Amino acid sequence: MKRFLFLWLFLWLTMPAQATQPDLRARVQPTIFAVTMVMIHDVVNPPAATRFYAYCLLGAHEIVAQHERNVVSPASLIRSFKPLKLEAGKPYDYQVAALYCILETARLMLPSGSMLADEQAKLLAELRKIGVGETTLAQSVKVAQGVARQVMVFAAADKYNQLSTRLRYRPTKADGYWYPTPPGYIEAIEPHWRIIRPMLLDSCGQFKPLPPAPFSKDTSSAFHKLAQEVYQTSKSLTSEQRLIASYWDCNPFAINTSGHMSIGFKKISPGGHWINITSLAANKAKLSFSESINVHSLVAMTLMDAFISCWDEKYRSNRIRPETAINRSIDPRWTPLLQTPPFPEYTSGHSVISSAVAEVLTYLLGSAFGFNDTTETIFELPERTFTSFRQAAEEASLSRLYGGIHYRDAIENGQAQGKAIGGFVIDRFRKVGVKPVF
Amino acid sequence: MLLLGVLVLPVHVQAQLFKQLNPLQTGITFSNDIDETESLNVLAYEYFFNGAGVAVGDFNNDGLNDIFFTANMKANRLYINQGKLTFKDVTLEAGEGLTGREGGWKTGVSLADVNGDGWLDIYVCYSGKVNDGTRRNQLFINETGSKGNPLRFVERAKEYRLDDPGYNTQATFFDYDKDGDLDVFLLHHNIKKYDNMELARLHEETDELAGNRLLENVKGKFINATQRVGIHQYPLTFGLGVAVADVNLDGWPDLYVTNDYNEPDYLYINQKNGTFRDETETAFRHLAQFSMGVDIADFNNDGLPDVMSLDMLPEDNRRQKLLQLQENYESFELMQQQGLQRQYMRNMLQLNNGDGTFSEIAQAAGVAHTDWSWAPLLADFDNDGYKDLFITNGYLRDYTNKDFLRYWGDYKIRKAIDREPVQLMDLVRAMPSTKIPNYIFSNNHDLTFTNRQREWGLTAPTISSGAACADLDNDGDLDLIINNINDPAFVYQNMAREQTRNTYLQFKLLPANVNKQGIGTQVTVYTGTQRQYQEVSPVRGYLSTQPVTLHFGLNTTPMADSVRIRWPDLSVQILTRVQANQLLVVEQTTTSQTGIQPVVQAAKPVFVNVQPVVSYTHTATSENDFKRQPLMLWMYSQTGPILAKGDVNRDGLEDIFVSGNQAKKGGIWTQQPDHSFRPAESGGIGDETGSATAAAVFFDANGDGFDDLYVAKGGYALFEPQTPALQDSLYLNDGKGNLRPSVNPLPNLSGSSKSCVRPADYDGDGDLDLFVGGRVVPGRYPEAPQSYLLQNVGKGQFRVMPTPFSTVGMVTDAQWADLDADNRPELLLCGEFMPIKVYQYTKNGFIDKTAAFFPEADNGFWQSLTVTDLNGDGRNDLIAGNLGINSQLRFSRKEPAELYYADVDNNGSIDPFFCFYVQGVSYPFVSRDELNEQMYAMRKRFGFYKDYADATLNKILTPDELKRTKKLTVTEGKTTVFLNVDGRFKQQTLPIQAQLAPVTQILTEDFNADGHADLLLLGNKSDNRLKIGSIDANYGCLLVGNGTGSFTYVSQSQAGLSVRGDVKSVVQVRVGQTNYLLIGAFGQPIQTYKTGN
Repeated sequence: MKRFLFLWLFLWLTMPAQATQPDLRARVQPTIFAVTMVMIHDVVNPPAATRFYAYCLLGAHEIVAQHERNVVSPASLIRSFKPLKLEAGKPYDYQVAALYCILETARLMLPSGSMLADEQAKLLAELRKIGVGETTLAQSVKVAQGVARQVMVFAAADKYNQLSTRLRYRPTKADGYWYPTPPGYIEAIEPHWRIIRPMLLDSCGQFKPLPPAPFSKDTSSAFHKLAQEVYQTSKSLTSEQRLIASYWDCNPFAINTSGHMSIGFKKISPGGHWINITSLAANKAKLSFSESINVHSLVAMTLMDAFISCWDEKYRSNRIRPETAINRSIDPRWTPLLQTPPFPEYTSGHSVISSAVAEVLTYLLGSAFGFNDTTETIFELPERTFTSFRQAAEEASLSRLYGGIHYRDAIENGQAQGKAIGGFVIDRFRKVGVKPVF
Repeated sequence: MLLLGVLVLPVHVQAQLFKQLNPLQTGITFSNDIDETESLNVLAYEYFFNGAGVAVGDFNNDGLNDIFFTANMKANRLYINQGKLTFKDVTLEAGEGLTGREGGWKTGVSLADVNGDGWLDIYVCYSGKVNDGTRRNQLFINETGSKGNPLRFVERAKEYRLDDPGYNTQATFFDYDKDGDLDVFLLHHNIKKYDNMELARLHEETDELAGNRLLENVKGKFINATQRVGIHQYPLTFGLGVAVADVNLDGWPDLYVTNDYNEPDYLYINQKNGTFRDETETAFRHLAQFSMGVDIADFNNDGLPDVMSLDMLPEDNRRQKLLQLQENYESFELMQQQGLQRQYMRNMLQLNNGDGTFSEIAQAAGVAHTDWSWAPLLADFDNDGYKDLFITNGYLRDYTNKDFLRYWGDYKIRKAIDREPVQLMDLVRAMPSTKIPNYIFSNNHDLTFTNRQREWGLTAPTISSGAACADLDNDGDLDLIINNINDPAFVYQNMAREQTRNTYLQFKLLPANVNKQGIGTQVTVYTGTQRQYQEVSPVRGYLSTQPVTLHFGLNTTPMADSVRIRWPDLSVQILTRVQANQLLVVEQTTTSQTGIQPVVQAAKPVFVNVQPVVSYTHTATSENDFKRQPLMLWMYSQTGPILAKGDVNRDGLEDIFVSGNQAKKGGIWTQQPDHSFRPAESGGIGDETGSATAAAVFFDANGDGFDDLYVAKGGYALFEPQTPALQDSLYLNDGKGNLRPSVNPLPNLSGSSKSCVRPADYDGDGDLDLFVGGRVVPGRYPEAPQSYLLQNVGKGQFRVMPTPFSTVGMVTDAQWADLDADNRPELLLCGEFMPIKVYQYTKNGFIDKTAAFFPEADNGFWQSLTVTDLNGDGRNDLIAGNLGINSQLRFSRKEPAELYYADVDNNGSIDPFFCFYVQGVSYPFVSRDELNEQMYAMRKRFGFYKDYADATLNKILTPDELKRTKKLTVTEGKTTVFLNVDGRFKQQTLPIQAQLAPVTQILTEDFNADGHADLLLLGNKSDNRLKIGSIDANYGCLLVGNGTGSFTYVSQSQAGLSVRGDVKSVVQVRVGQTNYLLIGAFGQPIQTYKTGN
């Protein structure tokens, strides 16, 4: 956190002084990242994380859309969303309001949202320092709070609070089906996520992927060959492949055990990783504050929907993880390089969401947009350079094979699923006038 | 003032039984110091904090007990007893290397006269992640030679082939093959936990270093006999405790071996032919999951050795909520699939039933949770004639702390952001350390214990491991010696002899062979009607060796009537009129009689298990109701098998209805003149593909003189109210013995899942009406389900009548009985979170007469109700089955358990919060994780487990939310007899054996033909939340009556009952001249008994 703050201060000090209307674009990334840190602390699961991102950015998106004609209002994109009312009695700064709204929504939504009260206070202190007047601040905060409250009302209707009323998942014990995996044998994560209202898609099943290769114990079957590929790949990993697997691990909670002790090692979620890539790309593209908020919000919506689509399939096919299949039929002692995440295998979540979001980012920022990804440095992994969003997505997808947690068909069919989602989202963009920003 | 002070003082300072002695006074300054370093710590070696042992024995044969301590990393110490509780450290002079091998990791210590020269030798075990050479066990042979010589030990493990390089926890020397010399069992452990439970298939593999070993003594060389004798050598071995005892009293030593983690414990029964057989699965219904130390001793003085094994469950609410508890149905199911038995994280006290089975009763006994526990020692500390229980506990780091699991990862990320390296030791140091006192319990003489930590003076918080109890000052009581981590060892002087007039007897037993320590000798001391039993088996508890001298407290008796000694060669020696307060040295006489069995002639058992007359095995369906409502206490879907008795063809022979399962309908089994039962060939009864039969009764619905059958639907699963899944059916008899669905359908009865059907002519109109009890509304627990009164309007047609008890509660059972002698039956009802209710029918309908019959009605988890005259006064008495006291749930009138419920977060599902008192405060049973899953909004209320750990319900719910909840309570858990005294029911206490499991079926009859009504209680409940676990101590509890309404328990072998499983139904059937008992238990074959006389 310290480092990002420092980065921001540095950028801030080097910017030309503006008496009024300071451009807060450099503040976008640290603000969203503060939310990411709370999600890491709370061990928010991958689909739930993207829902939080989408709503946290929705209010900010609405605020900038009401100030910038070239930003298309979320209401044009999201069917059930109505434009929000901004309580603007007195003058306020829409950028301050948008930033504050991100933190305020997260404060209200996240389990440990209260940790963001400090971030809010810090933000206001910084703004005071650069000369934003008390009245403006107070008004902006008021607007942000009003918008956040309305976002909460919108979010409350997405059936999230119905999840706990559903029958808890009970794994099928038959051959070929997913069963919780070692070491934690954690129960299925979000088995009913399909009921969540999507942002842009018509329904969770709109982009149903091809069915997986059917399970078979026959050693000549397609399934067995897929399992063998995972097993053999794991035996002959290059150091580059190992790195790629770890780089895209994005497991929010890998349990490490030693005797009776277990510790959860935490990482950013797949959605969080892509949100931060978006931040890095927005900075590199020198997007304006409004464009940046807009791109982040569109990416978050895409991620949320891609997860809904993927989770719909996961609990349709309920497919066995390579770890279980290989332990049962090939090698009882085999463990994958990455810890198997606690949900069914098909399709690969990272493949679906990375492919979908790469399409959207490619549309918004270009197909040859190279970038240097520093997201994983706080998890003791190096920076990594990519020539395009699609290249990054391709690598993220394949990383699951290297990591030993997905079969190839879950990756490839997942990529197709993601690309279809991305294509659909871009069509929507075109229809409502969301244009490339770079 | 001064005078007052002097007078008050003795009252305040009540003398404590144990006096902690100052190390400076005793000279025992030993401390098992553990240095945690970056390279050597609990993350590098998982058993780093498991502690070390104590061994007590007389090394120099001067009649005083000496002490040897092992230290994990530092020097072992040998202390010679100089009398008057002073000791001298002679480690260095007594023998080279006694301090232990440099760089080795020392664990348990065993004393035995390995070479039979009359001098006690020392065997030290080694483990640790070091090379094999550094890990080899050491045998220090006592070569002192003659009395008065300075002690001299020489290390000779290699010569004896006892230099085992395995990962040794402990060794125990015993003569398994009865060839007169001592063999040895080596308890090993793997150094890497297996997280993958599918690896139970490693039961086909052998691991020489991790798997246990048995070495046979062949002329002074210890030869590996492990495989030959049938000892498992699995890589999954995590041996932490071992005890040798003759558990089946056949004179041959058996072995109990505990295992940490998922591997179950092993009970090896000596087959008397040089081999053992693992009989764990038949002997025990469930086991401790992370079993540590173990002791085997007869604690209830019935002459049968019982087993106490320890686990890690804390006693207080805070630590229970803060530390990890296993509540994972998938991994539990996986364990069952892998044949790893039911295992739960709490101490287990396995009461020996004397018929090859054990009843686990630690919770009823009050000894189930003593935190992270190591050494149990069952011994009579207060000399009152019953063995008490001492338990050491403590772990240097609370490394199952949930905040640590969940949030330590943040620290790692913060370090990375700050570009600082993560130190392993930071992690270790970040683990909280909680010192807690050891536990000591006094025996209440009724299968239960009372915590005496405070009264007996064991309040010092420590991290303790191995321990021994021994009479160090030869004054006739047992002192305690405890090995502590990072603290000086404790020596507690027992003041029983000083403070009480209780007497004692001690025995030193010298058999006529080279086993000079008398290992395996069995002694029974008879005083009045009481007998006490012990066996010389010094390696008990944890990592430690107890003295071979047997100590018996005799209460205040001046002498023992007789003492029966069974020597290892099975010959018996009887001593009579033995004066108390002495140490008897008994040498095996040549005149002792061989093979004499106990004089007590076993009486003929009351019941005899026989071949089934109805060959039917119930198929268990594996529902998990907690997937639908996770916060229920137990499931409701396991209803079958249901049995009912009638005579469908009026041939005078009783026929049976047996319910079916999802694959097959139920049906009638018709009794044939040749005494066999034939299943009816015509179509089955009660389709259960999408429903479950929960009750059935034969009665004449249409008055044609033939038995008709009512089948009630119940269960839980995915059933929805107001769907056919919960609609009952009536089958009418066609007069030829065939039962067909009634053409006149029953009214809509599908509002609830049912529990019982009871016919009676309540309105006196000459036909039979029905009460149908509502058990639960599937998906809406604990809302009151519909119960129905069906009035017979003639010809087998029924209508639902309005009653005051239509939503009385979760009804489990009901009876119609005339309680007020007006020749009209009253309706009695019982259920969960309900009192027993009485309704009287009047011309104005039913009125609630509960208050008249029960001036002080207790809400219970009532399960069953039976009405009969127990004391021959012509009035109907009641027997009401309840949950019993053998669970974690505790409640009373003073401290009721409460169930608050409402749809607190308005999302359409009921949020039920069960609360009960733990150490004086009522806490919710729900864990933070479960709460967060039940109500997402709760995730914001408690940021950390430590914040939630002390929360009472009014801290969890806001006052507004709490106001919206409804509340149910329970105040009584005991199965109870109520005697009808002048129209009021008077509670009568039943023996504690009636309270060891839920009672779901009650039979009353004069089973032993002595002219008085007896009770047979059946039950058990294994479908509970994992946090509660299986309550399964009931194998058929026979209580014989004396005609006054009071009852005495009949032991399992005397009763002849060994009923398995959760009993759902029972019928008594007459076949020829014999009465059979047909018992239907979930997932079991129908079990059949006949009365023995």
